[in-house]
Amino acid sequence: MRVLIVDDETLARSILAEHLNKLPEIEIVGQAANGFEAVKLAEELNPDLMFLDIQMPKLSGFEVLELLGERAPAVIFSTAFDEYALRAFEVHAVDYLLKPVEPPRLAAAVERAAERLRNKTPAPSPEQLSASARPPGRALERILIRHEGRVHVLPLERIDFIEAQDDYLSFAAAGKRLRKQQTMSELETQLDPTRFVRIHRSFILNVERLARIDLYGKDSWLAILSDGTKLPMSRTGHTKLKELIG
Amino acid sequence: MHPIFKYRRRLLLYLGVWVVFGLLLTVVFVFGGNAPVAWSLEFAVPVAIVLGLQSLSFWYVVQAMPPEDTPVPRLVVTWAIAGLVSLIVWIAIASAWAMWLLPEGEVYPESAAGLLPLLVFAGAIGMSLAVLGHYLAGAFQRSRNAERRALELQVLAREAELKSLRAQLDPHFLFNSLNSVAALIGNDTQAARQMCFLMATFFRKSLTLARQQAIPLAEEVSLAETFLAIERVRFGDRLRASFDIADDVKEVAVPPLMLQPLVENAVHHGVAHMLEGGEVCVQARRREGFLELIVANPCDPDRPPSRSTGVGLVNVRSRVETLCGHRASVDVDAGETAFRVSILLPAVSSHATS
Repeated sequence: MRVLIVDDETLARSILAEHLNKLPEIEIVGQAANGFEAVKLAEELNPDLMFLDIQMPKLSGFEVLELLGERAPAVIFSTAFDEYALRAFEVHAVDYLLKPVEPPRLAAAVERAAERLRNKTPAPSPEQLSASARPPGRALERILIRHEGRVHVLPLERIDFIEAQDDYLSFAAAGKRLRKQQTMSELETQLDPTRFVRIHRSFILNVERLARIDLYGKDSWLAILSDGTKLPMSRTGHTKLKELIG
Repeated sequence: MHPIFKYRRRLLLYLGVWVVFGLLLTVVFVFGGNAPVAWSLEFAVPVAIVLGLQSLSFWYVVQAMPPEDTPVPRLVVTWAIAGLVSLIVWIAIASAWAMWLLPEGEVYPESAAGLLPLLVFAGAIGMSLAVLGHYLAGAFQRSRNAERRALELQVLAREAELKSLRAQLDPHFLFNSLNSVAALIGNDTQAARQMCFLMATFFRKSLTLARQQAIPLAEEVSLAETFLAIERVRFGDRLRASFDIADDVKEVAVPPLMLQPLVENAVHHGVAHMLEGGEVCVQARRREGFLELIVANPCDPDRPPSRSTGVGLVNVRSRVETLCGHRASVDVDAGETAFRVSILLPAVSSHATS
């Protein structure tokens, strides 16, 4: 089995490698010290299994998984302590290890991963996993987008609005557009409903950017943003927005 | 507003007492003044209730003159005047009520005038009891409030203690450090031993320091250095630290565990989120009779919002304030790419306080 180790601490990588080298049929093909490297190496090396630390600079383990999407290998998470993450693992039955790791526990986790690979059991979707790793009642704080080979971390407060385009969502921020493959309804449930409102089948608006609302026709309105952009608004969207801003 | 109006049951009970007073007054009128029973009842009960309602105004006098810090002569004079005014008003109302009860064209017999002294006497007694009751209720209320405040203070102190204990026992720090030790044992036993010593020193120091009121800054700096040494084993070259502590502030008294949580924040919310790492700078110097302590670190503009936003900082701020009052200040400068906390404390030597 070809393995990739991801952890931002050198010592944590070295002890994992040390234990793994004692197991049969394991080949460590690479080690990554942060989330960006992890995404790059996972795509280049195409490993069977990835040991993924959760707290890392720039990108967390969950975010690495989200970016890899369907290309993600089987994953065993490792963490020192994270109550929310632990619950996410339990719910979705992905294996996880608590640092420091005991060798027998590690061997069992590797065995389980091998089992999963043989049976080709589908892993839980990365979005599902990262959503349940968020503390309850806590909405998404930033969006990860891969655009032209680069990873963009987009904090929500920079987003003006989001537009649905075929299978993609287009995020408008400061005059620029970034595209991501995701559905509108999925994103809508992850956003804070007091900050982002779906004003139309194809538009979600950052309420802070709203300058005024113009009547456009019977049962249709236009949302005018502070930079002058005009977005269509449906009747239900108008009602939702009215409820929020009074 | 009078507190009795807040609870209907209390008000009803209070008026009930005055109805009983009215019945007693009736008995006095019938047997002591030879008045007819029906008339006495009709006259005395409403008049007693009026006296009760009038007496509620004494509450404001009690509030204005708490018995413990009002001179006795003033207390006596005020109550004499208040009582007299209240009594005159009441007698006037009672007389009007008596006239109203009189059927048209009739007059009271001359013997009725004998009831007036009885009325004045009963009114004076009723009012005196009301004043006493108000003082008793006030004292009861005050003692209950004092009890509640003492309890609140206790809870707050306990909470602060718990928070500082939790801060010392940060699970990430503990488990990650143990993981480092486990890793080092395999190939660098000397370094593994060194890490165990550092951890023992850190936990021992933070336990003993936490029990003290104030400690010299030098001890706090040494704790922060131990903490950073442990974290440097984990983070390697990514974590750098610089200390610039002026010699003339090393003995200044500071609250224990004030610097350590700030350095911890600088590592976990600052440097740990940066790919290339960064430097935690600790600076201390004397400025016009004050100790100025600065902890600065770079941070990543895209970092996820921290889960424990400012808990450690709030704790430090409240403890600095309880120790030095408003002569101390804690300033936070949170920029996009840099974070800086500066604390200003009156520079008192630790030898002077202990």
